[in-house]
Amino acid sequence: MARNSENTLDDAKFRLSTPTRIFGYTALFILCVISLFPIYWMLRTSLSTTRLLFENPTSLLPSHFTFGGFERVLGMATEKQAIAEGGSGASINFGQAFLNSIIVSTVITVCQVSFSAAAAYAFSVLKWRGRDAVFFIFVVALTVPGIFLLIPNFLFIRDLGLLNTLPGIMLPQVLMSPFAIFFLRQFFLGTNLSIVEAAIIDGANHFKIFWRIVAPLAMPQIVTLGILQFIASWNDYLWPFYVGSGDPSSTVLTVALGVFKAQTPQGSPDWAGLMAGALIAAIPMVLLMIFFGRRIVGSIQASGVK
Amino acid sequence: MSNLAVTKRKKPKGNFWVAVPFMLPALVGLGVFVIAPGIRGVILSFANYNVFTGQADFTGFANYIRMFQDVRFLNSFLVTMEYVLINIGIQTVVALFIAVLLHRFTRSHIIKGIVLLPYLISNVIVAMVWYWLMDYNLGLINSILDALSLHKFTFFSEQTAMPSIALINVWRHMGYTSLLIFAGMQAIPKDVYEAAAIDGASEWRIFRSVTLPLLRPVLAFVLVITVTGSFQIFDTIAVTTKGGPVMSTDTFSIWIAREAWGNNDFGYASAISVFLMVLLSVIAFAQTKIMSANQSDLDR
Amino acid sequence: MKTFKKIAALAVAAALPLSVAVAAPAAHAASTTITYGLWDSNQLPGYQKCATDFKKKTGINVKITQAGWDDYWKSVNAGFLSGKGYDVFTSHLAFFPDFVANKQILPLDSFIKKDKVPVNTMYQPGLASLWKAPDGHQYGLPKDFDTIALFVNKKMADAGGYTAADLANLTWNPKTGGTYEKFIAHMTIDKNGVRGDEKGFDKTKVATYGIWMEGSGGGDGQTQWSFLAASDGWKVNDGPWNTNYHYDSPKLAETIKWWQSLSDKGYMPTFAQQNGVGWPDQLAAGKVAIASNGSWMTGYVNGLKNDKFELELAPTPVGPTGKRASMYNGLADNISAATKHPAESWQWVKYLGSAACQDVIAAQAVVFPAIPEATAKAVKAMNAKGIDVSAFYTHIQNKTTFLFPIANKKSQINTIISPVMDGIMSGTKDVSALTDANNQIKALFK
Repeated sequence: MARNSENTLDDAKFRLSTPTRIFGYTALFILCVISLFPIYWMLRTSLSTTRLLFENPTSLLPSHFTFGGFERVLGMATEKQAIAEGGSGASINFGQAFLNSIIVSTVITVCQVSFSAAAAYAFSVLKWRGRDAVFFIFVVALTVPGIFLLIPNFLFIRDLGLLNTLPGIMLPQVLMSPFAIFFLRQFFLGTNLSIVEAAIIDGANHFKIFWRIVAPLAMPQIVTLGILQFIASWNDYLWPFYVGSGDPSSTVLTVALGVFKAQTPQGSPDWAGLMAGALIAAIPMVLLMIFFGRRIVGSIQASGVK
Repeated sequence: MSNLAVTKRKKPKGNFWVAVPFMLPALVGLGVFVIAPGIRGVILSFANYNVFTGQADFTGFANYIRMFQDVRFLNSFLVTMEYVLINIGIQTVVALFIAVLLHRFTRSHIIKGIVLLPYLISNVIVAMVWYWLMDYNLGLINSILDALSLHKFTFFSEQTAMPSIALINVWRHMGYTSLLIFAGMQAIPKDVYEAAAIDGASEWRIFRSVTLPLLRPVLAFVLVITVTGSFQIFDTIAVTTKGGPVMSTDTFSIWIAREAWGNNDFGYASAISVFLMVLLSVIAFAQTKIMSANQSDLDR
Repeated sequence: MKTFKKIAALAVAAALPLSVAVAAPAAHAASTTITYGLWDSNQLPGYQKCATDFKKKTGINVKITQAGWDDYWKSVNAGFLSGKGYDVFTSHLAFFPDFVANKQILPLDSFIKKDKVPVNTMYQPGLASLWKAPDGHQYGLPKDFDTIALFVNKKMADAGGYTAADLANLTWNPKTGGTYEKFIAHMTIDKNGVRGDEKGFDKTKVATYGIWMEGSGGGDGQTQWSFLAASDGWKVNDGPWNTNYHYDSPKLAETIKWWQSLSDKGYMPTFAQQNGVGWPDQLAAGKVAIASNGSWMTGYVNGLKNDKFELELAPTPVGPTGKRASMYNGLADNISAATKHPAESWQWVKYLGSAACQDVIAAQAVVFPAIPEATAKAVKAMNAKGIDVSAFYTHIQNKTTFLFPIANKKSQINTIISPVMDGIMSGTKDVSALTDANNQIKALFK
C-alpha cells in the first residue's frame, strides 16, 4: 500500500516513445489553451470600457483599458463613473454578498457531505434488507427536474417564515444531496471488509468504524466531493434568488452580481462588470483547490476504488 | 467488483437499526424537500393548477394525453436526445483522453487546476462568453476563419444550435469529468501495467486492454451522473438560444419552465416533469443494473 | 474529522445570529413605507427624485428597488407567491392580462372617483384605455409611452449620401420595397466595397449589412415589422382584448414575405446569422447600418458612440396607406392586491401619474411621459442632450400610432405563432403557414 505517491507510471519501465511523447505534450498544450482562452477573454473584457466594448469586438486586448468593471463590482465606483463607462449604475453590496455566499456554501458543504457520507455508509458497508431499494429512491431523486421542486419548496420555506434568510436558502440542501450519496457509496463499496470485521470483533460500534476507519480511508474522495459541492453551491443562482433576493442580508454573490445583467430586454449586460464579478467570484474556489488540491488525488490506497 | 460482493465471510445480517441513525438526516432531507413536493407535483399533474390563486381543477389524465399529442413532445424528446448523445459522447471520450494525459504525461497540480478552471465559472457566464465568441458577425472564431479566408460558420442556426450548445457544455465539464475518471485510475495497481509493459504492449494496447476494462465501474458511475444531468440541460440554453431557433433547442427543461412560469400551467409542466423523471429513472436503473452485473476484471 | 465537526458547528452557529438579526423587524417612526419596483436602471434617478418630492409632500416613504428585466419579473412573481412583494410596481401590457386574471392587482376605480382623477382626458389619447381590463375596471394610470423609429449609423448614412431630409422621406410598399429598400440596399456593402444597389454586389460576401433582423418578432413584431404591416393597413385583431385575429391576412403575408426577402438579397443577415450578440452592439461595431427599435433604447444606443458609429434617428417609412405607422405601448404602475398599504400605494400611483412627477421624469430625458405637456418637455430635454427625437414624436403629432396588442392567453398565442414566424424568417416555412397558425389561435378562444 503505497502512501503519498501518485500513480503516474513515470518509472523507468514505462518510458514513452518519442512520437507518443510529442503527441501527449502537444495534446496537453492544446488542452490548456482551450481551457484558458475563454477565461483570458473574460479577463480582457473585464478590463475594458463597457460602452466601447464593441468598437473592436475581436481584438485580443482590452478595449479602452480601465479598472472600472472591478470598481463597480467592489462598490467603489460612483453612479456617474459607472454610467459614463456604460456600466450598471446600480449599487451592489459586495462585501455582504460575498460573506453570505461563504456562509451558505460552507455550511451546506460541510453538513451535506457529512450527512451524505453517513448515509452512504449505510448503503454500502452496512447490510440490511431493502437497502438497495431505499438507495434507488435516492437515485430517482437525481432525476427530478429542479424546476419541479422549486415552487413547492419555495412555498414551504415561506410557510416556515424563512424567506429572505440564509437558513431558508440553505435548508433544502443542507441535509443531503443524491449525487453526494451516490458518489461516496461508490467509493465506500471498495472498502476492505476485513478491517471492518476486525474492528467489530474488537468491540467497536459502527459509528466508530465509520468515523475512524472508513471515512478517513476515503478522505481524498470526500475532499473532492466537498470541493465539487462547494462549487455547485457557490454558483447556484435560481433558488437563492427566489428565497433571498429581497433583502441584502440574504443576498448571495451570484444574485448580487445580477445587477450587471441586461437591464432591458434588448439591452446588453454590463460586460466589464459582469466579467469582473465572475472572475472575482471564482477566486475562493481557486483558493480551495490550491489548499486541498493535493488531497484530491494524493494518497489513494491500492485497495481503494475499483 | 466490490470486496463486499466478493467476500464469502459471514456478515451481520439485518443491520437495519444500526443503519437508521446513519440515514436519518438524509432521509429527512429527501422526504421533506424531494419526496413531499415531488408527490404534490405528481398529484397536480392530474389537474389544471394556477400557482397564484392556488386553485386546482382535477382533470384526470388530460395533461398526459395533451402532452403525448403535443408537437413539442416529440420535438423536445428528439432535441434533448440529440443534446445528450453529442454532449455525453464527446465529453466522455475527451474526459477519458484528458484523464490518460494527466495520468501518463504530467504530475503537475497546476495543469490539473487549469483543466478544472472552466468548471469554476458559472454555467450562465460560460454560456454568455461562448455565445459572443461564436457570434457570426462579432465573434472571434468567425473573425479568425475570415482572416484565414475560410467560410464563416453559423453556430446557432436551426441545425447547428444544439451541437454548439453541447460543445459549450463539453468545454465546461470535460475537466470535471476527467477528474472523476482520474480518481478511478489511481486505483489501478502498478503491477498490472508492469505485466503489460513486460509483455511489450504498446501505449494504445495498454489503454485498450488494461486501463479501459478496469475503469468500467468508474465510467459506469460517471455515466449515470452525467447522463442524468445532461437530460436536464437548462441554464446554457435559457441564456442563449432560449429554445430557438425554431424549437431546435427546446429541451424538456426549457419546455417545462416555459409551461410553469410563462404559461402559468403548472399542472401541464408537472406532467412533463413526471414523464422526464420516469424516463431518467428507467435509464438510471438500466445503467446501475449493468454496473452491478459488472465484475471487476481485477480479480483480487 | 474532529476539525470538520468544529467547523460545521461554528458555521451553523455563525449563521444563526445572522438570520435572527434579519428576522427582527426594523422599527420605524410614524411614517409608512411602501416598496416600489422598476427594471430600467436609466430611469432610477428620476424616480428617486419623485420619491423624495413625494415624501416631502405626503410624509410617505417610498423604497425603490431596481432589478434587470429578467430578474425583475421573477421577483414580481415571487412576490405574489410569498405575499411580500412590491406594494407598487412598474407593469407591462404583456403581463397585465395575467395579473388581472389571477386577481393579483387592485382595481383603481374607487380611488380615481374619490380623488376625481381625469384619467380619460389628461393623458395622450388611447393610453388609459390600454390599462382598462375587459371587466371594466381601470388598473393603472399611464406614466410613459414609447414608439418605434429607425436607429441609423450617421457615419454610414453620410458616407452613402443620405441626408437627414432623405431619411425623413422614406416610402415603402411590399412589392418593390420603395425608397426604404433602396436605402437599405445602398447601406449594404460587400467585401469588395460594392453597395447592395450597385452592379456586381456579391450577397455571399457582405461586410456591412443594411438592416438588422433582431429575431422574427413572434406574434407582435413590435420593433421588427409591425410598423410596416400597419402602414400597409394590417391590424392584428379588431381592437384591445378582441379575439378575432387576422394573422391570415394577405397584407401581413406580403409584408413578412418582403421583409424575409431582404435576407435572401443579402441586405439583412439570415435568421441563423443574427442569433447572438444583439443589435445595439452590432450597430456600435459597424456591422450594420440600420436597426428598427423603440424609443426606450435611445439613451443607451446614443451612448455607444465611437469611431465607427454615431446615432441618427429616422421615422418609419410611409406605406401604401399613405401614412407612417408605429406601435404605441404605454407603461403604467399597478398596485399589488396583497399590499398592506392600499391607501398609501394609491397616493404614490396618483403621484406617478401626475404632472409633478412626470415633469421630473421628462427632465431626465430617458422616456416620453404620458401627460402631453410632460411629453413636450421631454422632447425638449432630449433635444438639449443632442438627440433629435422627432422621429419618435411625429407619430404623436400626426396620430399615426396603433396600440400594443393586448389580449388574453398571450403566452399561448406566442407558443403557436413564434415558431411559425421563426420558420418563415429562416426560410424553412412559407408565409402560408400563418393561416394555419391563425386558425389554431382562434381555436384557443372557442
